[in-house]
Amino acid sequence: MRASALLIVCVALLASTPASAANGWWTFERRSNLNSTLTWKWTYPPSPAQYSRSWRAGSGTSTNECRRAEGWLPAGWYSQWGHWNNYDGSAIRGRVWWLQDKYCSDGITKRTELFIHSEETAANGQLCTSAWDDSTCWEREADYYSLGCIKLARPSPVANFANDLGNAHSTYHTYGGSDRHGAFTDSFELYVFS
Amino acid sequence: MALTRLTIAALLLALAATGCGAGGRRSELAASPQPPGTYAVGATVFGLPGGAITLAAPPVAPLAGWLTPAAVPSPDGSQLAYNVWKELRRDDPKLSWTDQGIEPGDPLATPSIRVHDAASGGDSLLDEGAFSVAWRGDGALAYFKGAERDYLAAVPYVGDVVVRSSLDSPPEIWSRRHARYIVAGWAGSSVVAYRESEGEALDVLVFDGPGRVRVLAANSGLVALSPDGRQAVVEQGPAQGRPSVRVLDIESGKQVVRLDLTRVDPAVGTVGYAGDWRGGRVVGASASGLAVFRVGHGRIVLEQAVRIPGQTVAEPRFADSSGRRITAWTEDKAGAGVLLDCDRATKRCARLFPLPRAHGLHGFPIWRRPVYNPSRPLATR
Repeated sequence: MRASALLIVCVALLASTPASAANGWWTFERRSNLNSTLTWKWTYPPSPAQYSRSWRAGSGTSTNECRRAEGWLPAGWYSQWGHWNNYDGSAIRGRVWWLQDKYCSDGITKRTELFIHSEETAANGQLCTSAWDDSTCWEREADYYSLGCIKLARPSPVANFANDLGNAHSTYHTYGGSDRHGAFTDSFELYVFS
Repeated sequence: MALTRLTIAALLLALAATGCGAGGRRSELAASPQPPGTYAVGATVFGLPGGAITLAAPPVAPLAGWLTPAAVPSPDGSQLAYNVWKELRRDDPKLSWTDQGIEPGDPLATPSIRVHDAASGGDSLLDEGAFSVAWRGDGALAYFKGAERDYLAAVPYVGDVVVRSSLDSPPEIWSRRHARYIVAGWAGSSVVAYRESEGEALDVLVFDGPGRVRVLAANSGLVALSPDGRQAVVEQGPAQGRPSVRVLDIESGKQVVRLDLTRVDPAVGTVGYAGDWRGGRVVGASASGLAVFRVGHGRIVLEQAVRIPGQTVAEPRFADSSGRRITAWTEDKAGAGVLLDCDRATKRCARLFPLPRAHGLHGFPIWRRPVYNPSRPLATR
């Protein structure tokens, strides 16, 4: 009887364990500039069991990770230095994650200003004009290209892509990512590999 | 001097030449008596008129990469301005900053610019907290000067574009506000520089004087400046729409002509920054090797696509007055720099590996880079 009660209590505790108790991190498997995979992985410590969700993502216009403003994201572990829902930069806006600078494989060239992002407005909307490529509108497959960052698709009035940015964002917050926004130094990390 | 000759002889003996290009065989250029052009292997610079010289430190520019030369000869060739990177603490690229105990704001490195005098052998500091230098035909220098001396973790390294009328003159600020600038060269009396923003997005700016700044080409890379310094060829890759190259008039900022790269030989694909313009020809790195364009009279047309198998090609330069011979740099499978010596007539490139046994210095791996002055006009090249 006492054992059954203890089991019920344990199950109840597990069921009510907040997702924030999870421990999460990103991985990015580089296969091509247009079609790589961003994954959010998490565990519920102390259990070693890993859970994950993945999305198609792009990076760079070249597979030479040492070409600034061209090459895909260099391999290795990254610290994540912040996350914004309404980032309003000059080139990147909306829901973004900011990554540390990284030496590329030549051991000399530093890649900088690196983010995980999409193409949207600071208010998470779409601003699509008649131009070929708006930085605030996900128009086509070629939008997976970046100058080095990791890019995720999202729907727009002119193209029917999956809401990968939205799903990655909610997964991050639900399964072990920080609930904080802005620049912070929590040790959420990204592992990039080929 | 004897030592210099010995060094060059050792270099030539050490050169490993293999074929590449259309036939994948060794070309006749591989047998040329000396690798063309001026280039650095670690701290040693080869190809200068007076022979090889050794700098106080290897010319490296981590925050510029291939956007600008790591070292720039003065217009008369007597001096060399070069970028130096002093690490203040080790940054292991395999590990995250968190795992290395690096916190936001921690000083990681100090970039600086040094000047080497070939005649005297003197090597002196020009400025600390600075990188990416351009040397004008009359001796004026422009470079980026950080608001802080040190490059800090998780802090964008912003600063100004500054100009010195000579090596001994004080720096004068030409930018209007702090930003991440990378100086690319002089076009006449104007400085051409990149402004880098999130995602390594690059705008090509023109600084006509103190506080006189304008955007020449947004979201673009600079391929080359015309020999008279009046025009620029800029490129855009597929991340900004249809890949293209454009010829721009620098003074007015107006587009002279644009070439849609999706309508030429598909082997070109894209054209990269840091190419060369000699006479009526422009060469740039392409997705598959090299792209050579004829430019003039309001036109730009693809003249030739040279396919080079393997890794990305960088910093192509015309190596003779006819425009037939082109040098460029690529990497071998281990990531070591390889000099390409290409003959456009035969479409073959010799692969030269200067000083294959050279070791890195000051904690850096060995870096092989061309040394050149992209500013225009120049009395001498």
